[in-house]
Amino acid sequence: MISIPSHSLKPIRALALVLALASGTFVSADPLLKSDAEIQNEFRDRATYVLDNAIERIDPSDTDAGGIYDLAVALNRGEHIDWARQRLRSYNETPSGSMFWMIPMVLLMQADGGNLTEEDWSFIQELWRTYYPYRGDTENHWLMYYTGLYLAAEMFPEAGTDAWYNGRSSAENMAEAKEYILDWVRITTSYGQGEYDSPRYIGEYTRPMALLAGWARDSELRQIGRMMMDYLILDFTVESLEGLHGGAQSRAYPREILRPALSVSMAHSWLFFGQGEFSPNASNTLVALSGYTPPPILYRIAHDRSEAYVHKELKRTRWRLRNVGADTFEVDGKRTRPVYKYSYVHPDYILGSSQGGLLQPIQQRTWNLIWREDEPLDKSNTFFALHPYSSPKEGMMYFPSDWDTVTDLIARSKADYDTEDKLIGGSKYEYIVQHKSALIGLYDIPEGTRFPLINTFFSRDLEHRTEDPSGWIFAQGGPVYIGYYPMAPGEWKPVDWTGLMAGGAGGWFSANFVEWSEGSESYVSYDLKNGYVLQVAPVRDFDSFEDFKRAVRALPLETSVEPVPSVRFTSLEGAELEVRYKEPLIVDGKAIRTEDWMLYDGPFARAERESQTLDIIYGSERYHLDFIQRRIESSISSEQ
Amino acid sequence: MKSIYRFILPLGLALSLTSQADTEPTLFAALAMTKAQEASSLPTDSGLFIYDRHSDSWDTIGPEILFMNSIAVDPKDPDTIFIACGNGIVRSQDGGKSWRQVTGWRESDVMRIAIDPEDSSHIYAASVWGVNVSRDGGESWENANRGLHETWSRPIVVDQRQTRRVLVGTEAGLYESKDRAREWQRVAHSPWVPVLDLQRSATDLDTWLMATEGQGVFISRDDGRKWTSVVPELAESNIYSVSIDPADPDRMIAGGWDVGVWVSSDGGKSWQGRGEGLASPNVTAVTFDALGSGRIWASTFEEGTFYSDDLGRSWQHDERLDGAYVFDLSFAPLRR
Repeated sequence: MISIPSHSLKPIRALALVLALASGTFVSADPLLKSDAEIQNEFRDRATYVLDNAIERIDPSDTDAGGIYDLAVALNRGEHIDWARQRLRSYNETPSGSMFWMIPMVLLMQADGGNLTEEDWSFIQELWRTYYPYRGDTENHWLMYYTGLYLAAEMFPEAGTDAWYNGRSSAENMAEAKEYILDWVRITTSYGQGEYDSPRYIGEYTRPMALLAGWARDSELRQIGRMMMDYLILDFTVESLEGLHGGAQSRAYPREILRPALSVSMAHSWLFFGQGEFSPNASNTLVALSGYTPPPILYRIAHDRSEAYVHKELKRTRWRLRNVGADTFEVDGKRTRPVYKYSYVHPDYILGSSQGGLLQPIQQRTWNLIWREDEPLDKSNTFFALHPYSSPKEGMMYFPSDWDTVTDLIARSKADYDTEDKLIGGSKYEYIVQHKSALIGLYDIPEGTRFPLINTFFSRDLEHRTEDPSGWIFAQGGPVYIGYYPMAPGEWKPVDWTGLMAGGAGGWFSANFVEWSEGSESYVSYDLKNGYVLQVAPVRDFDSFEDFKRAVRALPLETSVEPVPSVRFTSLEGAELEVRYKEPLIVDGKAIRTEDWMLYDGPFARAERESQTLDIIYGSERYHLDFIQRRIESSISSEQ
Repeated sequence: MKSIYRFILPLGLALSLTSQADTEPTLFAALAMTKAQEASSLPTDSGLFIYDRHSDSWDTIGPEILFMNSIAVDPKDPDTIFIACGNGIVRSQDGGKSWRQVTGWRESDVMRIAIDPEDSSHIYAASVWGVNVSRDGGESWENANRGLHETWSRPIVVDQRQTRRVLVGTEAGLYESKDRAREWQRVAHSPWVPVLDLQRSATDLDTWLMATEGQGVFISRDDGRKWTSVVPELAESNIYSVSIDPADPDRMIAGGWDVGVWVSSDGGKSWQGRGEGLASPNVTAVTFDALGSGRIWASTFEEGTFYSDDLGRSWQHDERLDGAYVFDLSFAPLRR
């Protein structure tokens, strides 16, 4: 299924596409039967389309408008050169954005196609001499900063200390940047990313890595760029469903929460795997220019959802600088805490979770359910719950700010952080366990806690929502049935019941919020000792909704909130689950030991903790990334 | 005694702070313009502002970098200036004409810098990740967290009487090193509390003041060995900044959140709230005039910086820093 809107193509390219479709060179009926060459040819066609589209977006008569990534494409293609040179100057009247400035500037410098003049280069070099970018306060900021600095300096290897904003020579800047980049790779492939699985910020990682893969003259960094692109795409792909990014996530915004298809992950899925629909995206533009091509094994993993599977991952929190807690471990003098991710990836849905607690500041998605939709762009195909926690203690755990200002300053950009009806964020009083299609959330919220409530999101796209006398709330979301058992009563409220987001708080942050949320509801429960049981199942496994409800009602379930919340539940899959607040989940009498968690543990990916390697597996294919040797090994076994 | 300090010590102080004929103690504000920060995680502006008392003007110094937290000037060479900032440490060796980042990727979010007054090759930096030390004038830096229970650090001071002794305020209280930050020991008789500021009297070197998060103000009268809480009214407050009048060690000020400015005229025995006249009770930085005029300065969170010539009984509003979140307001011996 190709989703390029043909009306937006140039006539000649539209004709080429039709011919390609007719000749079968662009798409085969079954994605899993495609050859490596077919997969790579199709990828290159989509990449070409991305660049064509970038050129089409340019209005050469308006030198004050136009994206900087599109500018890079124009230079690379040798089209609209006069516009590009003038836009380069108008864009840089007052440089800003730090690493968000560095990456596209390096892109256009590297990909200029020989179309920048000496005068242009002088202008660019003066920018690097005078504009002092901030290194930032997140993992993606630092990676973009150092990748941008490295590649900019590599273009002028002999430049001295007076050529750069920071008074360091090209050689010094390259040495520092390379050391950081390699350390980031070591940490990531040993302990997991701190800013993990973000459906938006995945682009903040693929852009710098594709830059390295495409343009680094240093062969080691060029290889690292390619390998980390493979790594990052695999990391997302194994928890994706037709491009929708499932599972627990470190950071997301209302946009991706309420409309899972409106994500950078989804845009990447179109480029990498032909899933979903095309939408212009800066990260895709950069990747398309870089020449990076993902290995075909990733395409097959993305498309093969013939069987449900459990995929587990070990990630970590951001580095904690204060209030680090006893459950943390130290890496090179910095403290972090393991994040145990568990995802059940079914052909029709993904239910994924992490253990709860303060794993990330502000934008943590502790757990969520997403389901497949034929037209996902307009759907709010998600289900989740949370305790809306906010605290200066959390802010200071991760940011170098003060007690009295940190919450205020966070809310300047993340407007909903300190509101009771927010839809995102972790809580120190939340504990989540999961076994396949069953998930249990337990809460023990102390008296006096800000926002003492649990908020469960019920999408407007759920059908047949029923409050059953048994205590279960049943609903259907596309191809999945949902049974939700609240341990304490609640009340229905509109999403955004404070009206903060509808009122436009945070500007861009709440733009379109009403459109995305209107009609959805929150189930709000104010009991402090609280919890819920979630049981989902594919519609295809039942004759009817009534059958599903009957089956769930019949499941053994005991709940208690004293002395701490606890649940005993036998799931539809027949597993006997037992859990008390903040104690290990017991499945069929055996306690789950997270201490043994691997970095990747699933049918498509395996990696030991601290191994700096990753095995990507599909059937008899094996694709091995070795970050110690900087080596990729690809093999096909004769044994299945 | 007080009057003697008021009229005699300023001369000595001025001499000590102006060891170079063409330098003078200069008020600086390390700040970020946060009030106009809307729908963004970054302030609209940031930088180091220095006050020229001769022309009554504020000017910026140093490169434009976000999140500048403080500066330190080499007492033996006023042309050598260090900036503590989010990116690490930036140094000038020509009085601010050119700058160079002297730290690498392992150092960041530096809050304060202290320079050994006898041997300025020894430089100490406190950051949210702990202490970094340079033993070659800032050319290279190493981690110096050995002995710290919690690494988050803010104020750092070199003892001018015994320069191997360094004190640092951390999340877990006050720590002391007697070997130039190679090893830290917790100061036994000090509170277990995050330390936000640490100031020593310029004229009575046994007297120190400490500002804390959540436990108000502490004083030491025995050179930092024993600490006792003062100002019962502030005992649960976040106090961000303290200062002792260099011309009179009996005169002290403290500024904090929701408490405005508190002053003492009797060496910390009694304190009075003097926040009336400030545009906000949320004070992030205070300082006494280093030239000994007795003037006090106070910066409120985003609502402007104020000064008072009558120990806070009345305040004048300096509107030029309105909208700022001032991280450090202090004096440094800058070249005129």
